[in-house]
Amino acid sequence: MEYIGEHLLPGQAGRFFVSLSMVSALISAVAYYLFYAGKGQAYHKLARAGFLVHTASVFAVVGCLFYLMSAHYFEYDYVWKHSSLDLPSEYIFSAFWEGQEGSFLLWMFWHVILGTILMYTAKKWEAPSMIVFALVQAFLASMILGVYVGDLKIGSSPFILLRDTPDNLGLPWTQVSDYLQKFPAFMDGSGLNPLLQNYWMTIHPPVLFLGFASTLTPFALAIAGLFTRDYGGWVKTALPWAFFSVMILGTGILMGGAWAYEALSFGGFWAWDPVENSSLVPWITMVAAAHLLLIYRNRKSSLHWAFFMVIVSFLLILYSTFLTRSGVLGDSSVHAFVDLGLSGQLLIYLLFFVVLSLAIFIYHFRKIPSNKKEDELSSKEFWMFIGSLVLFISAFQIIFSTSIPVINQLFGPEGLLPLFDKKMAPPLDPIEHYNSFQVPFAIVITLLIGVAQWLNYKHTGGKIFFRRMMRSVLISVLLTLLVSYFFDFWRQPLYLILLFASLFAVASNLDYWLLLGKGKMNFTGSSVAHIGFGLIIAGALISNAKQKIISNTDVFLSEDMPSSEHALLELGDSTRLGNYVAVWNGMREEKDKQFYDVTYYSRVDSNQLQKEFQLSPFLQMSDNMGPTPNPSTEHFWNRDIYTHVTYSSYLNPTTDDGYRDEMEVELARGDTAIYQDHFIIVDSLRVNASVNDTTKQYETIRLTLKLRVLNVFGEEFIAEPVYNLAQNTVSYEDAYLDEQGFKFRLEDINTESSLYVLKAWTEVREEEKPFIVLKAIVFPMINLLWTGCILMAIGTGIAVWQRVRS
Amino acid sequence: MKRSHIVIILIIAVAIGAIMATINDASTYVGFAEANANPKTTYTVIGYLDTDAAMDYDARANRFEFGAVDKEGVRKKVIYHQPKPQDFERSEEITMKGYSTDSAFVAQEILMKCPSKYNETNEMEGYETYN
Repeated sequence: MEYIGEHLLPGQAGRFFVSLSMVSALISAVAYYLFYAGKGQAYHKLARAGFLVHTASVFAVVGCLFYLMSAHYFEYDYVWKHSSLDLPSEYIFSAFWEGQEGSFLLWMFWHVILGTILMYTAKKWEAPSMIVFALVQAFLASMILGVYVGDLKIGSSPFILLRDTPDNLGLPWTQVSDYLQKFPAFMDGSGLNPLLQNYWMTIHPPVLFLGFASTLTPFALAIAGLFTRDYGGWVKTALPWAFFSVMILGTGILMGGAWAYEALSFGGFWAWDPVENSSLVPWITMVAAAHLLLIYRNRKSSLHWAFFMVIVSFLLILYSTFLTRSGVLGDSSVHAFVDLGLSGQLLIYLLFFVVLSLAIFIYHFRKIPSNKKEDELSSKEFWMFIGSLVLFISAFQIIFSTSIPVINQLFGPEGLLPLFDKKMAPPLDPIEHYNSFQVPFAIVITLLIGVAQWLNYKHTGGKIFFRRMMRSVLISVLLTLLVSYFFDFWRQPLYLILLFASLFAVASNLDYWLLLGKGKMNFTGSSVAHIGFGLIIAGALISNAKQKIISNTDVFLSEDMPSSEHALLELGDSTRLGNYVAVWNGMREEKDKQFYDVTYYSRVDSNQLQKEFQLSPFLQMSDNMGPTPNPSTEHFWNRDIYTHVTYSSYLNPTTDDGYRDEMEVELARGDTAIYQDHFIIVDSLRVNASVNDTTKQYETIRLTLKLRVLNVFGEEFIAEPVYNLAQNTVSYEDAYLDEQGFKFRLEDINTESSLYVLKAWTEVREEEKPFIVLKAIVFPMINLLWTGCILMAIGTGIAVWQRVRS
Repeated sequence: MKRSHIVIILIIAVAIGAIMATINDASTYVGFAEANANPKTTYTVIGYLDTDAAMDYDARANRFEFGAVDKEGVRKKVIYHQPKPQDFERSEEITMKGYSTDSAFVAQEILMKCPSKYNETNEMEGYETYN
């Protein structure tokens, strides 16, 4: 059958380039191997050409998908699922990587760019490291291949047509040749998740995926180092790449935090969510890896650990991909990807690289040179080494707790090896759980950051060391006292110590940079990055430990529980929120957003108010997701006031004829529903139908549903809503119960379950004053955190630049 | 013994500590029966929406009440001091974190598993009914 209005060419081109990219990556890997094995220069040419063809095909695949999305070809499943006609053009990018297939593509895109750079700069490391690169790419290409071998699905293609998806195959509409013109459902896509329609979502994923991609380069070089048995030579080439990875991955993660803070109603920038954790952990190990590489470059020791940490960082990226994309987190995270049935393939991918790389590492383990002489206690390298190991356990703790769903799958009651008789659930209070470990780890790390700057490699004289450090210790003690005075840290000793340690890291590095290094370039990178890290910890500590919910009113919202984290604001009335008096001025609608303007006043004296600022949190309306709250935040230099609307009386819509409190239920005969303190019992259904004499088809159908409505006193009322179907048009005759103010409608009959779909409304008797339910939190000193993020990125960037130059 | 050996032993000790603490901190998925036996203790219960029970969100009190059935078939009223989650009626499975009281299970956190994020199949099959 010929379908009308479909655009098949760009999709076929896309599929062709996906296959080409996979084949060319494999050819490149094999050719690099043959060249490396000494089979001649011709293979080198072939390998490079293969990788360039691969690069070009990845670009072409990306181009094809972009073309489909910007041209709104909704016959494609991916386009239909992730975009819509009214999607602003800047969000085409967000729509592009909203789904799994698109984000795999984004990842491949960064790999080919980094791979091409490595290919032309790695010199003697080119062949062995590019084998790894090309293999990883071949695996990734297979994830978007979308072919079936028998019943086995290999990859999920972004170019599959809507009518070819397994869900739709065989449905009657796929037999209609002009389905694109006939059915409104296919004239527009279902649109992008409103949570992702935010500018952070156009920049956070590309940076994060560049971060993911950047861990591959050090990994490929490390494997090349083992492969060539030149165990130390790769370190110099890998160093700038490792710091590049630290910078980009760190920035990507923190941008995710900024997005959560700006656009999500989690109430904070970090929630120890499994998805957040699984990208944080590889960053931590990469930081450890980069420092171990530094130790090796300066002192030729700790090489085993450097190998291990570089390899583990990349493997953790794969593991995190597996966690977020296989559906295994389903029970414990709200924002993992939807399972595409690729978990088996992801697992093979993961196990392939885990087994292979660890096997190579173990095989070469004894031959990797180590420094027989022990590091001195007063040496910089010893404490850097300790710091790296602490980072490693910190990462281990996070990934272990995050992996509880995986542990369940393996050892739970239904697992492979049932060791536990009960299914483990994630910790009840995740923040408490993670903090109990991560706060002590952070104390050790920030102390080491502060101290290690004053140590020399090899040996440091005791007197010099203490004299150098005295000033920063004094400054940070004073600062700690000052901050604790304002924010009252006295009763939380662990937090007090962390506060001191993080301020000490800042002061010490500032001192080191300005006074010892005199602001010189080769001191700048590490100092600024470490100052940034110290500020991040200090900012996170103060803003989280001292956050204050000011929508905590004196009013008890319910009798048995003072659940008063949410304040109720009636239109025009004033409500006390902490030191402010808030007035909600009304709702205004802009396209699909409902803005709630709330003005905040401060009290000058007992009867005079002064306007301070106005916040406009909004609810994003969407057909798929319903209303989604979007916060609004007032920024001061020393605190943020963060608010979001959790409920609004406008969400309970009144119909044109003055009814509200809509309920929709599906009931069978004899079923009971409870609505507004009344039992509603389905008594019977009467069917009247007329049949056309010539076609023998139903011409009109009239369904009358008899409902018995019982109030609390057992009094019974009868309501009979009617559903009419004539010439394929539906009409309703609603049933009214005037005394109760009820209206009933027989909306539909569910053809699958044969249940009656019943709707009920209640008449609005008196005009109710509109109101909103609002949550407001004050985050003190959160700007320290953001300043720290920027400084850390800049500092690491400078460090990368210096290593590239040297 | 070399200093690095001591460090590694310490690290292994901390790692084992972390594992033990995680297993301790980790809750288990239980049914309402066990939660009822230890009122005021926090548990994670996985259940389904009880379609026979009343569901009501009192916006002024910010209190959402519904009925749930756990995997063993035990029914319980659940109170949740948050607005009603979107598409709650369509949820296949509900994960509730909270504690039991005499009259109800007070949920502090609710996660839902929905059949499909976009409900796309229903939308398209709709056409079948009218032809």
